[in-house]
Amino acid sequence: MPDILLDMKKVMFAYNSGGQALAGVDFAVEAGAFAAIVGRNGSGKTTLTRMAMSLIKPASGTISFGGQDTAKLTPADMARSIGYVFQNPDRQIFRDTVAKEVAYGPEQLAFTPEEINQSVAWALRVTGLTELAGSFPRLLSRGQKQKVAIASAIAMRPKMLILDEPTSGQDPWDAQNLMELLTELNQQGITILLVTHDMELIAKYVDRVTVLDSGNKVFDGKPSELFNGNHTINAWGLLPPTTVALGRQLAGITADNAEELIKQVTTVINRRKEDHA
Amino acid sequence: MPKLAPLTKLILTAAVSVWALFIPTLSGLVALACGQILLLLLYRPTGKQVKAVGVLLIFAGFLAVIQCVFGSSLEFSLMSGLKMFAMSEVFVFLLATTRLQDLTAALVSQCRIPYEYAFMFTSALRFVPDFLEESKAVREAQACRGYVFRGNPLKRLMDYVAIVEPLVLRAISRSETMAMSLELRGFGRRGQRQFTSDVAIRGCDYAAMALMLVLTIFLAVVRLGVY
Amino acid sequence: MAIQFENFSYAYPNSGIVLDDITLTIPRGSFSVITGPSSAGKTSLALAIAGVVPHYFGGRQAGTVRVGNVVTAQSNMGELAEQVGTVLADYESQLVALTVAEEVAFGLETSGLNRSQIAELVSQALAMVGLTGLEEREVAALSGGQKQRLAIAAVLVTEPEILVLDEPASALDPEGAAGIYELLYNLNCQGKTIVVVEHQLERVLPYASQVMVLQAGCLKFAGSLKQTLAFMWQQPDLKLGVPPLWAVKLTLEEQTGLVFEGWKTAEQAASELNKLLPTCEEGVAKSA
Repeated sequence: MPDILLDMKKVMFAYNSGGQALAGVDFAVEAGAFAAIVGRNGSGKTTLTRMAMSLIKPASGTISFGGQDTAKLTPADMARSIGYVFQNPDRQIFRDTVAKEVAYGPEQLAFTPEEINQSVAWALRVTGLTELAGSFPRLLSRGQKQKVAIASAIAMRPKMLILDEPTSGQDPWDAQNLMELLTELNQQGITILLVTHDMELIAKYVDRVTVLDSGNKVFDGKPSELFNGNHTINAWGLLPPTTVALGRQLAGITADNAEELIKQVTTVINRRKEDHA
Repeated sequence: MPKLAPLTKLILTAAVSVWALFIPTLSGLVALACGQILLLLLYRPTGKQVKAVGVLLIFAGFLAVIQCVFGSSLEFSLMSGLKMFAMSEVFVFLLATTRLQDLTAALVSQCRIPYEYAFMFTSALRFVPDFLEESKAVREAQACRGYVFRGNPLKRLMDYVAIVEPLVLRAISRSETMAMSLELRGFGRRGQRQFTSDVAIRGCDYAAMALMLVLTIFLAVVRLGVY
Repeated sequence: MAIQFENFSYAYPNSGIVLDDITLTIPRGSFSVITGPSSAGKTSLALAIAGVVPHYFGGRQAGTVRVGNVVTAQSNMGELAEQVGTVLADYESQLVALTVAEEVAFGLETSGLNRSQIAELVSQALAMVGLTGLEEREVAALSGGQKQRLAIAAVLVTEPEILVLDEPASALDPEGAAGIYELLYNLNCQGKTIVVVEHQLERVLPYASQVMVLQAGCLKFAGSLKQTLAFMWQQPDLKLGVPPLWAVKLTLEEQTGLVFEGWKTAEQAASELNKLLPTCEEGVAKSA
């Protein structure tokens, strides 16, 4: 039974402008998981992750990371354990080479110079940015900048990465690249938590998905269970991946991903052709 | 309270400054200051605006005290303080009771200020909330990378580059996009501009301007009479 | 009026060639989509229609871009703006006024119309984008989707025939993205030519009449949705751009030898496939 890394119990939060953002949510992430939180805008999903990073404090409830209560910690403290990657890397990039940019986090955490060099080199290698180490980050493409942001986060050697809509605004090529990078990082032992709208990616890469609706947790389990048709996901502002939606409308087909669907449909059609031949 | 056109209020701003200089007696200046405060109250000011007036009163007080300390008579010091108050309070009145868009529309269409300058103000103001939000986002992002605002003042200043630079770069990028978009919307076209704001001069404006003119002439005469 | 690129090449000042010998026609009234991997030159191509390239940036140009009968290089951005309304990718930075009504009225300020005429046009434009009644709202207080709609209304108010939008849905959630494309389709049905830069093709699946693929500055293919997706499917480095629904369709076609219609939605696909699948009873009988 894997250890629980991030444990949030009964967290509640309300904004000053009224309306409850989180109404007593229990949320836990196991070490080594590749998890996602989904829900429409305003469902509380970003509030939850921001709370995990101590960017905001819950009105009530407890949050612990690696067994330690985080109530008195600041985001800079949490940076040692969690790398938080925001949606817009332009809001943090400021140095004139990629390598120096990636080194910022380790420097702030007071790594020794050798540790900084090692971490930066490793982060650049894993994200495929080694050749761009001397480039001016502001001139890179959106996908490359996102990778710089991820490299900046992992260079701090966190146990967990939280990414807020990492593929938003990216083309399918960059998005695939990114997800493969995250899978690689997950295999190397980093726990991944995504906040996303993209159901296709969830179906393809994520082990566990949690759905929030109006500040309540309404689902917590495997993506295949979420999309199996037994849940009213439309009411939560979600649409199943297109191929799943297609599969559900086809007579006699049960498939929760594209390969399965294609296999079953092809078999049936080819069999009918033989029968009629 | 009748809705006065921005131009009338602009003229009032100039007129009040002239009156503050013309009025020869302390009681006259007190009357001016009280009159201004009364006028502001008629327009139902917000808490912030009342606070601003309060701050101006305090500064006026300081000025009076300093003048006194340096040898002027009490009467003269109080008059100086009140003059300063009168001349600055009228700006609070102007900004509190006029929308910026109306003010710039009046400046361009009635005072012949080139449109580009007035536009700078309204468009900059439009971005202030966005800028504040951006500033918060940058601080959070850097905090999540271990940024802490501490240490000696010099170190704090150097560290703050991590906050300032992304903001500056973003502001530059924004202004480039805005410039391109303005060209795409025909910003440079010459010709008579029709503003959404209605800044036309009406009956009550003419009445107010007439009143101001009369008062100015009266005070000028009084001032000359005194000498 | 149609848009024509004839052997059009362009390079920004102090930079390499970003568009290489592009020849293509965007027919009047079409819903055209420019797609391709990042840095392919998609934005530059879109901006060339409005004359931003070359008038705003300078740089070097070869060939011509024609909007109707006007050659963009011989006109200027202000004149072209009368025919082409452009919404940039960073639409927030495009909004310059303090309130919604002022933003929309901005483009009409030098049109010579009086205040009530302008107000009428403003309220029509707001109605077209679904922002009726928000005239006095502050721009900074709008949501992302509302700001996007406002940017569109602000260019619609001068009644251009052509609308060019650069990644209109990139910052929106799926519901918001669907809403914007529905709006664009409505405008298309009302006669406007729509040109969008979009790399998530499933968003435009129900609407696109023409798709153009750019890669590294070259036009790799232009044609109907069906033709272009079939083309992309055959190219290993463009394959990922094919939306999942069509990935299924094209794979099924390969494996069964059948040819299916151009699916615009999952429902359409399901109804076509269900005709080929046995009913429940048949299926049960066979597996028994």
